[in-house]
Amino acid sequence: MGSVRKFDSKPKINGSWKFLDDYQSEDMIYGNIIYSKCHHGIIKDIHFPNDFNISEFTFVYAKDIPGENIVPEPVSDQLFLAVNEVFHYGQPIIGVAHPNKVTLTNFIKKIKIDYEELPAIIDIKECLDNEKNHFGREITIDHRTRDEIQNSWIRHHNVYYMPHQEQAYLEPQGVIAEYDKQDGIIFVRITAQCPYYVKSGVESMMGSAVNDVVIETSEGIGGAFGGKEDFPSLLAGICSLLSYKSGKPVKIVLDREDDIKITTKRHPARIEIESYTDPATKKIEKIDIDYRLDAGAYQTLSPVVLARGVLHTAGGYGFPDSFIRGRLFRSNTPPNGAFRGFGAPQGFAAMEAHIDGIAAEMDITTIELRKANIFNNGDEFPTTQKVTEENLIDCFNKVLEISDYQKKLKSYAQWNKNHKDKKGIGVSLGFHGGGFTGNGEKTLNSEIKVVLEKNAEVKIFVANTDMGQGAHTTLAQMFCEAIDHPFEKTKVQLPNTSKTPNSGPTVASRTIYIIGNLLKQLALELKKKYKFDKLESYIIEHNSEFPLELRKNYIQPTSVFFDEESYRGIAYKDYSWAACVNEIYFHADTYQIELIESWNVLDIGRVVNEQIALGQAEGGILQGLAYGLSEFFYKPGFGRMSGFTDYTLPTTLDIPKIVIEFIHTDSVTAKGLGEIPMDFPAPALRNAFLNATGIIIDEYPLTPEVIYKTIKEQK
Amino acid sequence: MKLKLSINQQFYNTHIDGDESLLDVLRNLGFKSVKKGCDTGACGVCSILINGEPTLSCQFLAARAEGKKITTVEGLGAKADKIVKAIINEGADQCGYCGPSLVLTIYAMKKELKDPTVDKIKHFLAGNLCRCSGYEGQLRGIKKYMGVK
Repeated sequence: MGSVRKFDSKPKINGSWKFLDDYQSEDMIYGNIIYSKCHHGIIKDIHFPNDFNISEFTFVYAKDIPGENIVPEPVSDQLFLAVNEVFHYGQPIIGVAHPNKVTLTNFIKKIKIDYEELPAIIDIKECLDNEKNHFGREITIDHRTRDEIQNSWIRHHNVYYMPHQEQAYLEPQGVIAEYDKQDGIIFVRITAQCPYYVKSGVESMMGSAVNDVVIETSEGIGGAFGGKEDFPSLLAGICSLLSYKSGKPVKIVLDREDDIKITTKRHPARIEIESYTDPATKKIEKIDIDYRLDAGAYQTLSPVVLARGVLHTAGGYGFPDSFIRGRLFRSNTPPNGAFRGFGAPQGFAAMEAHIDGIAAEMDITTIELRKANIFNNGDEFPTTQKVTEENLIDCFNKVLEISDYQKKLKSYAQWNKNHKDKKGIGVSLGFHGGGFTGNGEKTLNSEIKVVLEKNAEVKIFVANTDMGQGAHTTLAQMFCEAIDHPFEKTKVQLPNTSKTPNSGPTVASRTIYIIGNLLKQLALELKKKYKFDKLESYIIEHNSEFPLELRKNYIQPTSVFFDEESYRGIAYKDYSWAACVNEIYFHADTYQIELIESWNVLDIGRVVNEQIALGQAEGGILQGLAYGLSEFFYKPGFGRMSGFTDYTLPTTLDIPKIVIEFIHTDSVTAKGLGEIPMDFPAPALRNAFLNATGIIIDEYPLTPEVIYKTIKEQK
Repeated sequence: MKLKLSINQQFYNTHIDGDESLLDVLRNLGFKSVKKGCDTGACGVCSILINGEPTLSCQFLAARAEGKKITTVEGLGAKADKIVKAIINEGADQCGYCGPSLVLTIYAMKKELKDPTVDKIKHFLAGNLCRCSGYEGQLRGIKKYMGVK
C-alpha cells in the first residue's frame, strides 16, 4: 500500500475537522486556572476585585476536592490545587468558571495574591550544579569491569548543559468536562495523548463523588510531542471539579501565554562525562557519566524520563567499562515532563559532543574515533544487553557517503584558511529503544479490539490517539496490509475510554511498534483461523457469523527481561538507529550559525507509510536542530518566555535542506519512529560548529549570544 | 456595538465589544477553520483574507472589518481544491491545526507572486508556523502547485 493517504487529510485542511475549542454547547461556561506567580511561598491572602458579581462565578479550591488532591503519576507528588504553600510559578491554586469568557479573563487579571516569599531555585545551573538539590529517584548502571586506569590512556572530562525545550504544539491545552448529575458520570473531551491517564486523573480528583468517568479525545489534536501526556490529567481534574460544582459543562482552553508558562517542558540537563581512551587502539576503555535532570518542583513523570535518559546517554558505543549515575534535581519551576525523545536528546547532546571533544584532544578525526567504538554485533550496552546487529554502522557509513562528508571536510578546512566566516560539517549518532522501558510493556498488557461488521467494514478500537503523526491511518494500514483488506473499508474509533480498550498511552514510539504490530498479528491470526483469501468474501459468505468482536493483548516475549534493581537485562527489545551529518555556515560578524544541509539516515525497520514516515522524520529533525540552535525557555538575564514572540520557533526561512534516507526497510518489524528524529540532530550541529571554528561550546543551544560569550571569554 | 460583516460573500449582523478581535468574532459566528494559536500575531493559524490580503485576524479589531471583504477557507470552496490536493498529495498535513490558514496564504501567494521562486515562497510563508512537518512536505507540495522547481 506504500503511502496510503491519511483519512483525515482533507477535513483538516479545509477546516471541518473539530479541535477542542471548536466544540460548543448552549449552556457551556468557561473555566480557567488561577495559578501562582510566585516561585515559592506561603499564600497569605487572596484579593478578589470588588467590581464583579462574585455570585456569578464558580470557584474550586483544594478543600472542595472530593477525592485525592494528588495527580496520579509514576510518582504521585503533585497536587491538583495548592494548599497554603506554592512550590513553583504556575502552580494551580483555584479553579474558576463563569458564563462569559471575557468577564472571566478580566476577573482573573484583577485577582491579587499575597505571598510570604521563600527561597526559590529557578536557574538551571543553580539547580543542577548543587548536589543538595538532588531528590527522588536515583538510578545507577554499574558496568565497571576494570579497577585500574592505564597511564597511556587519555582522560577527557567535560560538563554539558542542555536547556528546557517547549513542545510548542500549535493547539493549546484544552478540555471540556460535563457532569451528568442524574447518572453521576463525568464526560471529558480533551486534546490529549493518553485518555486512560486522564481517566485516572479525574477519578483520583473526584473519588467516590461520581459513578464513572468517560474520556474522549477531540476529533483533532493539534500537536502534542509529549506535552499532552501528563499535564492534561491535571487540567481535566480541575475542569471536572468545576463542572461538578457548577452543574454545567465547563470548557478550559489555555491562552498561549498561560500554556507556555505553566505546562511541562523538556528537562534541562547537566551531564558530566569522564572518559579514558587508549591512543593506540582509539578505543574508549572506560567511561563515567553523571546524568542529572532538573525535574522542576515535583517528580511526576521525571523518574521515567530519567530511566530512558540513562539507558541512552552512553550512545551507540561499545564501552567495555561504564558507570552511569542518573539523578533528579528539584527546582521551583513547573514540573518538567515528556517531550519527544524523553531524556535521550539530552544524553546524545552530551555524548556526541564528548566524542568530538576526545577526538579534538587526541588530534584524530571524529570518524576514526567513532569507527573504533561504534556498536558492533556482540558489543554490550551498559545494561549488558547484547547488540545483535550492525545497523548503526550501516547508518553511519551511509550518511558519510550521501553527505560526501570526507570531501567536504577537506574542502572546508581549505576554505576556512582564507575566510573570516567559517564552514563546518559535523556528525552524530543516535538510537531509540521502542516501547516502554524494561518490563513496562508487560505491565501495560495493552489490549486492542477489532469489530468485523456484516458489511465487511473493519472497525479498530484502540486508545492511542492521532495527534498529527498519522497513527490511525498507519494502524489501519497495518491491519489491512496483513490480510489484503481494502483500506477504505476500515475505520478507527475516536479514543473513548468507554469504547476503546486500554491499549496504553500514545508515547514512547510504541503506537506502531507495539499496537500496530499487535493489529497485524490479530489480522494474520484471523486469516489463519478462518482460512480465507479475502476477508470481504468470507464475511459475505458467512454473514450470519457477523458482526464479530475480536480482542488481543500484547504479551511481552519471555526472552525480554529487565532487572529494575540492577538495571541489567533487555531494556528494549528493538532499537531504531540513526546517523546524521549537519553542514553549517558561521557568520563571524553576527555570531550566527546558518544551517545549510542536514543528511539523516535512519533504520526504523519496515516503513509502513512512506509519506507519513518522511513527514515524521522531517518534523522531528527540525525540532532537534532548533534544540541545538535556538530554543530555550529560561536563562539568566533573558527572563521567562511568554509566547511565540520570544520563544522563537523555526520558520520557513530557518530551515536547511533536509535529506532523509531510510535503510533496512525490508525488515519484518516496523520499529519506533516518533522520537528518534529528535534525538541526534543537535550535537551534529554543535560538532559542525566545532569543526568550523575550533571553538568548543558545551552549552546548548548555540545562540549568537552563547557563541559571543564563549569567544569573548576565550580571548 | 452593532457590526455588519461581509464574510465569504454573505452578510452577517452581529454585536461586538469594541476591543474584540476579528478572530474571536469569526469563531463566535461559527467560522471554526480560523484557529487560535497565540493571540500575539506570531503563529499565523488565525490567517484570513481581507480584501484578498492575508491578515492575522487576532491582530485585527473586528470593528475595523466593516465594509471589507473577509474570506475564510470555508469561502474558498472549490478554489481551494488544487491547493488542498497539492498539500495532501505530499502527506504534508500532520496535526492540521495550521492547515486552513496555510491554504488561504497559499491562495493569496499564488495571486501575488508573479514570478515565484523558492526564496520568495519561503518569505511569503514565514509567518505561518508549523511545528509538525518541518515545512519540507508543505514546500514540496507548494512548489508543485506554484510551478517552481
